Amino acid sequence: MSNKIHELVQTMFPPDGSGLKPYEWMVSPTRQRQWIDDKGIFLWLAFFFSEIGAGLYFVSLFYEYKAGLILGWLITLVLGGVIHMLYLGNPFRAWRMIMKPSTSELSRGIWIIGIFAALGLLQIVTAGSFNIVFNCIMGILCLLIISHGFATMNVIRALPAWSSTMVLPLSVISGIWIGHQILQFMFAVSGPQTLVSGMEIWAEAFFFAYFLCILLYAWGTYHSNEIGKESIILQVKGELSKISLAGVGGFGIALPLILTLIMWGGDTNSFLIFLRLASVLAGDLALRYVIMKSAMYKPLI
Amino acid sequence: MTYKTDEIWEDKWVNTTCGVCYCGCAARVRVVNGVPVKIEGISESTMGGTGSGLCGKGTAGLMYYHDPNRIKKPLRRTNPEKGIGVDPKWKEIEWEEALDEIATRMKKIMEDDPNKILFTNQTMRASDGPHNHPYFYAQAYGVKNNGNFIIGGGSLHCGNAAHMLGGLIHGAWSIAPDWRYTKYVLKWGSSKGTGSGHSAMTNARLRADAVRRGIHEVVFDPMGNFAGGKATEWVAILPGTDTAVGLAIANYILNTRGEIDELYLKAKTNFVYLIREDGTFIRDEKSDKPLVFDSKEGKIKEFDDKSIAYEDFALYGDYEYKGEKVRPCFMALKEHLKQFTPEWASEISTVPVGTILKVAKNWVDNAQIGSTITIEGKTFPYRPVSSVTFRGAQGHSNGIHQVAAIDLMSQLVGAEDVPGGTMGWPSKRRKYPGGQYERMPRIGKDGVLIPAVFYSHDPWPVHIPSVPCDNNGCVNFWTHCTLSHIPYVKERDYIHEKFGMGSKPEMIFGIAANFIISNSDWDVAVENFKDCFVVQNDLWVNETDQAIGDIILPDVSYLEKDCWSSEIDAFFFSGSPSNEDWYVHMQQPVAKPIGESRFFMDVYIDVAHRVGVLDKFNESLNNYYGITDEELKIKPGEYLNWKQIGERFMKWVYGDDKEKVEKQGFATWHKPIEDVYWRWNTESRCPVYMEFLIHDRRAVDKIIEDTGFELEMDLDQYTPMPSWFVPTSYKELDNEYDLLAFSYRDILHTNNTTFQNPYVDEVSKMCPYTFTITLNATLAKERGMKDGDIIWLENKYGIKENGIVKTMEAQSPKVVGISGQGGLWADGRPIAKGKGSNFCKLLPSYLRHYDPITGNIETAVAVKIYKD
Amino acid sequence: MPRWGMVIDVKRCIACWSCTIACKEEHFLPPGVFFNRVLIGETGKFPSSSKLIYPILCNHCSDAACVEACPTGATYVREDGIVAVDDEKCVGCRACLVSCPYQQRTYYDQKVKDREYFPGQGKTEMELIGEKLYPLKVGTVIKCNFCAERVDDGMKKGLKPGEDEDATPACANACPVNARIFGDLDDPDSEISRLIMEKKGKQLRKEFGTEPAVYYID
Repeated sequence: MSNKIHELVQTMFPPDGSGLKPYEWMVSPTRQRQWIDDKGIFLWLAFFFSEIGAGLYFVSLFYEYKAGLILGWLITLVLGGVIHMLYLGNPFRAWRMIMKPSTSELSRGIWIIGIFAALGLLQIVTAGSFNIVFNCIMGILCLLIISHGFATMNVIRALPAWSSTMVLPLSVISGIWIGHQILQFMFAVSGPQTLVSGMEIWAEAFFFAYFLCILLYAWGTYHSNEIGKESIILQVKGELSKISLAGVGGFGIALPLILTLIMWGGDTNSFLIFLRLASVLAGDLALRYVIMKSAMYKPLI
Repeated sequence: MTYKTDEIWEDKWVNTTCGVCYCGCAARVRVVNGVPVKIEGISESTMGGTGSGLCGKGTAGLMYYHDPNRIKKPLRRTNPEKGIGVDPKWKEIEWEEALDEIATRMKKIMEDDPNKILFTNQTMRASDGPHNHPYFYAQAYGVKNNGNFIIGGGSLHCGNAAHMLGGLIHGAWSIAPDWRYTKYVLKWGSSKGTGSGHSAMTNARLRADAVRRGIHEVVFDPMGNFAGGKATEWVAILPGTDTAVGLAIANYILNTRGEIDELYLKAKTNFVYLIREDGTFIRDEKSDKPLVFDSKEGKIKEFDDKSIAYEDFALYGDYEYKGEKVRPCFMALKEHLKQFTPEWASEISTVPVGTILKVAKNWVDNAQIGSTITIEGKTFPYRPVSSVTFRGAQGHSNGIHQVAAIDLMSQLVGAEDVPGGTMGWPSKRRKYPGGQYERMPRIGKDGVLIPAVFYSHDPWPVHIPSVPCDNNGCVNFWTHCTLSHIPYVKERDYIHEKFGMGSKPEMIFGIAANFIISNSDWDVAVENFKDCFVVQNDLWVNETDQAIGDIILPDVSYLEKDCWSSEIDAFFFSGSPSNEDWYVHMQQPVAKPIGESRFFMDVYIDVAHRVGVLDKFNESLNNYYGITDEELKIKPGEYLNWKQIGERFMKWVYGDDKEKVEKQGFATWHKPIEDVYWRWNTESRCPVYMEFLIHDRRAVDKIIEDTGFELEMDLDQYTPMPSWFVPTSYKELDNEYDLLAFSYRDILHTNNTTFQNPYVDEVSKMCPYTFTITLNATLAKERGMKDGDIIWLENKYGIKENGIVKTMEAQSPKVVGISGQGGLWADGRPIAKGKGSNFCKLLPSYLRHYDPITGNIETAVAVKIYKD
Repeated sequence: MPRWGMVIDVKRCIACWSCTIACKEEHFLPPGVFFNRVLIGETGKFPSSSKLIYPILCNHCSDAACVEACPTGATYVREDGIVAVDDEKCVGCRACLVSCPYQQRTYYDQKVKDREYFPGQGKTEMELIGEKLYPLKVGTVIKCNFCAERVDDGMKKGLKPGEDEDATPACANACPVNARIFGDLDDPDSEISRLIMEKKGKQLRKEFGTEPAVYYID
């Protein structure tokens, strides 16, 4: 990436970050840039935060753990929401985004987040709110929010790397896995250790599910069509390979795998859990980054 | 058509003429609050594209007005040192000071020898027209011939051989297919109808309709891009080898197939003239007219003897005249062509034998020899095949033979200036109804046409080479140069010395020419011109100005120009070569001149006035427009600027309609069909057998011997029939310098002025080939090169240029392509700076690299390529 | 109600870029913003390769991905088929932009607005007056609108889009070889309907399933 750009190229075809020369635009597979490059980076963070927040909220429901709910609610709405607003061209008009739930995934997402915000607050402030009905409703809302970012991407048929079948399962599992990790860490620093140790069996399950989803995503997208294949090649061979390898491979998979094996059978340790949380956060950010960054449009000619 | 606000106090359209290239398409400009904001064509005018269409660079022309880099005051060099990379240390000066210095210097030189002043012109300076006036402006100063003329942007890459043959065959500057009626078109290194050449958009419109109609277009070109990429069939050919294929096709027509248009050949060519064994014509002793054989009466007669019916002119046979064996020169051609087999041509050109034979067969099949067509009640021969060339094929050291061979196939089937065939640009200019100005070609010696107007140097009658030479271009010796090459030749001083040319140039007075970088080896150009005091009228400080300019005068762009005459003068290369009405356009100012810029024509007049030659110039203007009305003539002692002259002359040109035409900005009137296919009914003959070259050769040989001239020239090219000569570039190919670099015209660019246009710059980046160096994909792979690599091209003389690789399939694997005049470095044009690669600098400028007859430079060059 | 569409005659097109530049002038678009482009490519192998030239613009799809993706309804299909953006409603989320398989939309932000044609030398008079004549709103997505203002104004004057230049998109007018023909797809007698029928007009990447109103013939 940091190769010196020849003066001739700098003058005639100043690189714009697309990796293409202007004459290759939509003649060769052309990378999606709006939702990751420049200000698009906000969207990456916004999706990430709303989803891990919802993930935390979701897992906390099972443990009826209010601090988890509060933190999850705050991450989703404050971090996710504010960063989302920063991304918009006209944030003061954001309310208009509720106008088209019939066709727009984005609009539906806004509705869900709105309902989540209201009901979540209600659940947080109401005593004895962990009843089965409330939990079910909030659980469903959480799952919808977890998958919201990727669902928004998934409906874009123009980008095969996003519209492949494994994108949604991957996002759901990733949200739950990370939510679970945050909760496990919260318990590790404040809760009963038996609970922490007991959670480990779920950590093992979620991790392997997460790992499997990544493999299936990569395999499925690679085999979906030409452009999907190009996207995966870009992830593993092109300029994204470092992030894929170190971020997704190292932090997302290898390190958590090692830590999980060390703690196998519930032999948990707070420091290792912290380490694993940090690692999966970095790994998931990297995963989302490469998926967002590698999506390509099919050439028009 | 946009959202309006209360702040708009003016929103109007002004009709004018596009000045971005030499084509002069009709254009109208939207001006809002005094600011030009949009350009398009004029639907009511036939000049240019469909409806209000205009090409991309024309549409982008607005930027000539808006460019903040335009010079606004005269500039004076303060650093006496000149050269590329030397800061001229410009100082802004007042007009008065500038003009005074120019006039003082001119007067001083003129006391010695006016031929020491060079007047230059460039046809693509975005301040186009008047076109012809710089030529007779120079004459007002006492400059002899045209030889002091060095052309800028178009440079010697363009035209010399094509114009010479265009003039001799069609009485015209250039040629185009008769798109309206043709069926089968061969294009040889030419992009006529696909964006280049004269009347480019008129041709593009006509071609588009023809293609929709289903014509078959075969393009012979080293690359399948602008012309080849749009052709029905693109045939990869090596640069400069078109002659071989052309001659093989001619051989097929004449000797294999034996189907020719005998009547045409008898009536319209000099193939019936009788020659001796040495190839020269036999002439009547008294009248000096060439002789022919009347087969009906069995008698030898003068060629224009009215008693011979066309069908009775003998094309074949052996005769005797005053004891000498004579025969029609057509017999010589028939024998001469036999050597040029398709196999031989294929070997040279890389065009497969099968393709040559297929094209030759289709050519004859489509020619419909013998058929006629009736248009507007008049009947003409119908020959719907056309073979055209321009800059590409003719730009070689064998240029004259290239063009002659490409023309020959049309001659043999009679497809010249008849419906469906190859047309010359309008050779005539009929007067506007009620007006006066009219120009007609005449018939000169040996029945050959003398064009009505021709730049610089008439192709006919020909002059025998002679010395001493009295001008910088030595046209006394190189008599067929439309524009002389000698000013650029590395051995210029040697040539001047040997040929007794004593007027060493001391001053250049030019119009935006960028001749330092646009012709050949830059260092040679700097060396040849740096000792001159260089004055240029220009829009920006271009490379030439920066390297050798002394005074740069701010010129107006075409958008600020008030030029009543632009199209009147350019009819012979604007206008429609097909069956379309006459039209004429003016350039009307759409905005006020930028800064203190002045129209160069007014500067011309001012300088002439200061030097004391204005009366002479005015007199030549009176004569040029043929003004006989004393009231309208410019009188001795009168000082009129260009607009004031127009006030009078337009009354002459348009009569009572002057005001109407002025108001409209253009005029169009009916062109009768007999003015379109006029040559069929004209008693002229094409000098396709170029007998004059035999006499030239004799004179040249003698001069060379007498003067001890030792420079290499391919003198065998002085031969009357098109023959194969190996272009100089091929002689420099070897194992190391193993590829031929060639250049081509990109539709977006007019030489280098358009590189400074940000609209054009922006879209150029979106074209894969415009700013890059193209290589055949397989060749690139073999050399370990890929898209985006930086490579160097280096010629045998150590001159090199770098650029960015773009591979393409549609290019011959033996060539390297560059689309012209990039690689710019003038500080005065920041948008242009550093864009593209410069091809011209790679061209060696030794005399042997030029066509010895027409002065065309060899525009291919042997290079080696390597990665940066 | 007509449904406006365009036929692009690839055979006629010579890739002069007039459509692209005329469009930029018509809408006073800043550097780097294009509502029209020309895609140039190649297919096949030497010596029988061919050059591909495809002028492109918004396809004004009837089943437009952008319209579907827009969360606010700012992007909508007009009754006459033109896909338009209401810049009062656009929040600048760019869902439309990302969704468009033809990539025909541009996000107009302050950075784009600040671009100069002569970088570092200030905006020209034309760029400045353009900001008044054709104001674009920062933070919104902009795109080809088939010159809706020309079409609407022209029709108000009783002109016929596709025939009268004052009611026809600037790119179609600008084409010097008549490679762009504008007209009513719903009128079986219109020139474009006839051309699509006769020359078997094809939509670009029909497989995207968005039902473009721009057809290509060759």
